[in-house]
Amino acid sequence: MKRVVILGAGIAGHTAALHAKRLIGKAAEITVISPNSKWNWIPSNIWVGVGKMQPEQVTFPLAPIYARKGITFHQGLAKNIHPEGDSEMSSPYVEISYTDPKRAGEIAKIPYDFLVNATGPKLNFAATDGLGPDGYTVSVCTSGHAVEAARELREIIAKLKTGIRQRLVIGVGHGTCTCEGAAFEYTFNVEHELHQAGVRELAEIYYLTNEYELGDFGVGGMVFSQRGFQTTSKLWTESLFRERNIHAILGAHVSQVEAGVIHYEQVDGTKSDLTFDFAMLLPPFRGVDLKAYNKMGADISEQLFAPSGFMKVDADYTAKAYEEWRAEDWPKTYRNPTYPNIFAVGIAFAPPHQISKPRKSPNGTVIAPSPPRTGMPSGIMGKLAILSIKELIRNGESTHLPTASMSDMGAACVASAGSGMRQGSAASMTMYPIVPDYQKYPNTGRSENDTFGEIGLSGHWIKLLLHYMFIYKAKARPGWSLIPE
Amino acid sequence: MESADEVIARAPLPTAKTLHQRKSLPLQFIRFISINLKMIRMIRKGHHPMEKH
Repeated sequence: MKRVVILGAGIAGHTAALHAKRLIGKAAEITVISPNSKWNWIPSNIWVGVGKMQPEQVTFPLAPIYARKGITFHQGLAKNIHPEGDSEMSSPYVEISYTDPKRAGEIAKIPYDFLVNATGPKLNFAATDGLGPDGYTVSVCTSGHAVEAARELREIIAKLKTGIRQRLVIGVGHGTCTCEGAAFEYTFNVEHELHQAGVRELAEIYYLTNEYELGDFGVGGMVFSQRGFQTTSKLWTESLFRERNIHAILGAHVSQVEAGVIHYEQVDGTKSDLTFDFAMLLPPFRGVDLKAYNKMGADISEQLFAPSGFMKVDADYTAKAYEEWRAEDWPKTYRNPTYPNIFAVGIAFAPPHQISKPRKSPNGTVIAPSPPRTGMPSGIMGKLAILSIKELIRNGESTHLPTASMSDMGAACVASAGSGMRQGSAASMTMYPIVPDYQKYPNTGRSENDTFGEIGLSGHWIKLLLHYMFIYKAKARPGWSLIPE
Repeated sequence: MESADEVIARAPLPTAKTLHQRKSLPLQFIRFISINLKMIRMIRKGHHPMEKH
């Protein structure tokens, strides 16, 4: 029996685990290691953050699912990878520290033949002084964070109801953040809630982002065809901001947050302060604190990981100017070049570069949205790693592995702009490919037929449908594998 | 340099008809079906690279 170990049980890791059991469960023992006891449908944390959903509606315990499927589950934090084993253990292994309360602090060595790194991001609140739940801002990155955000939002609404004006700032807390789409969603959901509560006129809402233009979303924006004309996600988003009377601060790097005030710098070098009564700012991501050691015990982390902490895979990491970026730079198999029995999927792989054009202020501050690789691409990569491992187990290294580059992969994104079966709305978007390919699509970098956007109530219904559908799938209910990633 | 708020102030506003259409139950039901079909096509394309081997 081969041993397949999956680090992480988020969208990429959990998808990989379920497909691994289905596709190679008879030839391999499947083990999942995750510090969290629960699975979280993160896209719906937005609704927890405005009090429209409870955390129990977006999470469920992993252990019963894995027990039912025959997957070994260790609730623990992966600390070190030993891809060559060591003097005591000849097999490659991962050293973990249990977070399971019954075995808290216990250390274990988990051997593997194939390793799938789907550890996701480290929420790097420490990159900006005063950012995050331990500082002066809230977050919706986890369901727990979102509960706290909803509590603070209720307090703000209570103050507004007494006639006290409030300023709410929503966005990203560093120049290199990703997930601008989530900040966009939370902005419009908060606006919707204030409107529903009848206090919208007393509230001033700011969207503070590292995007150079509205509608960039970390993917360099999109061009849509609409009624015989081309339009841009920029114009489309600006229109929505005007309609909902939301202010925007663009191309911003938050340098520090203090009680009630955000200090930020913009691409033109201007440094400003913005006072706030409520602030939800997403943190930048970096790779989790995972180290790697060779057989002799020497630290080889630099061989496996990029400086960002994300794992190196089959991408072209040569430093290039924006104009020289190519679709081929993006990884296709997600295998680590040094240890090809290790795969890194979802947020855990190191992207070769951004998708949006990176910028630097005259003061040298980098303001560059990082590429999003959550949701649909994460699930596809998780499944891809298992399909590759299946091929490698069956046919060995001579086999031709399947590929799924983000430059040959589409994405569907539904950005909520308010909940409610009659009053809700969302921006439904698709793009193909995620990474623009100007050689294949010289005009806009993407297929004009497969890149579109639309705002309406139907978008809310779709987002709700996705919520129930993906939780059903993640619970491995009958027919789960028919639901695509 | 023009501020973001100045740019937003020049953006086109949706007409009353567009706003009505965004909430119209019959029309949105049709859009729901249509967008789902578009997304299914996108999902198939997204999975295509994996399936061709």
